[in-house]
Amino acid sequence: MNSNSTPSAAPPVARLIEAFSRLPGVGPKSAQRLTYFMIRMPREEAEALAEALISVKDRIVLCSKCLNITEDPVCAVCSNERRDRTRICVVEEPLDVLALERTRAYEGLYHVLHGSISPVNGIGAEQLKIRELLDRLRDETVTELILATNPNLEGEATSMYLQRLISPLGIKVTRLARGLSSGADLEYADEMTLANALEGRAEVAVDKETSTE
Amino acid sequence: MTSGRPNLFTTEAVVLRHSDLGEADRLLWLLTPQRGVIRATARGARKPGSKLGGHIDLLCYVKLSIREGRELHGISQADTIDAFRNVRTDLGRLSRGLNIGELAQRISVEDAPAPEVFRLLVNSLGWLATTENADTLVRWFALRLMTITGFKPELGACVDCGNELEPDDHVFSAERGGLLCPSCRSQGSDALHPASLGTIKVLRHLARSDFPAVESLNIGAEERRQIERILRSHTNSVIGRGVLSSAFLDEVRDWPEVGPVPGGIRAD
Ligand SMILES: [Zn+2]
Ligand SMILES: [Zn+2]
Repeated sequence: MNSNSTPSAAPPVARLIEAFSRLPGVGPKSAQRLTYFMIRMPREEAEALAEALISVKDRIVLCSKCLNITEDPVCAVCSNERRDRTRICVVEEPLDVLALERTRAYEGLYHVLHGSISPVNGIGAEQLKIRELLDRLRDETVTELILATNPNLEGEATSMYLQRLISPLGIKVTRLARGLSSGADLEYADEMTLANALEGRAEVAVDKETSTE
Repeated sequence: MTSGRPNLFTTEAVVLRHSDLGEADRLLWLLTPQRGVIRATARGARKPGSKLGGHIDLLCYVKLSIREGRELHGISQADTIDAFRNVRTDLGRLSRGLNIGELAQRISVEDAPAPEVFRLLVNSLGWLATTENADTLVRWFALRLMTITGFKPELGACVDCGNELEPDDHVFSAERGGLLCPSCRSQGSDALHPASLGTIKVLRHLARSDFPAVESLNIGAEERRQIERILRSHTNSVIGRGVLSSAFLDEVRDWPEVGPVPGGIRAD
């Protein structure tokens, strides 16, 4: 496989190309481009990059509560006393936490599943951090669980699965509203998105003052 | 080489698998009538507001415009024909939809026409959206799929000696691909699955009928278990390894829609 993509590369070069092409979304062409970019890189920059890689491996752990990636045993969100401990928002990936934090609209805690149920790829509930979530729900004082999985079939399957598992525990289970994305034209919306947007429609407040916060 | 091929074509397709590609793209495995399974990329499909994104989720029945590529095709336009909404909003139906989709994908060959398999899948997903007997649909689908693709299990005569089977209980061998008469069953060391007379009758009925004709068939619990084992071992031996989505199907099969979780939450 790799031998024909890099027929004449020197062994260290071939090794780096090979390493890059194992990254998600990087094909042989991009791996070559990245490698030749790095060959021209100043030594200090290359060292900084290598050091950054190593320290990610050495220093990054999963938060013992929410399983987000962190440098500390308990992450900044979980150890922040001002966060609302009665709510947990369930997301698929650490990057989803970043996205939600950027909104500054959520004050509760998180739980990172590290994936979604994907039966066709043989990924079931066992491979996700669901058991850890159930442990938290048993120990902590959570009253609302917000499902924020991706709005696709596998994300929905994961949410439905969690809903069935957790509703009997007497915890309120909610999910993010799904609908039209801002900036998109209605005519391009697919039928699922439109149906969801209709289902999640909200009454237009006529008399209320618009808040200017 | 293949200079006669146009570089843009339109096709109907069902999305059967996907994986992330690059920053915001998706790679799709599609079942199409004329080209069987094809792989195509959908640029930007993971970005919110993508024109493609919402149309190309798993189990969507779509019409696509595709740019032909040497290694991978590229989707330039997608329109939903049917998203089978009832299938994707119910965990039980969804698990079965993924299961029949996986079967169709695993048995199909890349770039070989599969109009019958395609039609079977689309019709079955439509039935799955409304039927109350989703398990019968999955079993009927598996049998029909095997029949269409030339892997129909032998249910009429003994698969080994060809002798007609007495109306009695027999056994099924996935390795040999059918039912066995009493004298052939002791030959060989393959796994044999019991097939009662009732089971054999139901299997034959499923094999020769269209789904609406068997939809409300009342199948006893023991027959269901036998049929499940026979069809699974048969499809596994045809496909070559286990069907990945079956585990999930089994896990959610008996979950009630509301109420307590069966078996409770594991305390171990
Ligand atoms: Zn944490
Ligand atoms: Zn025989």
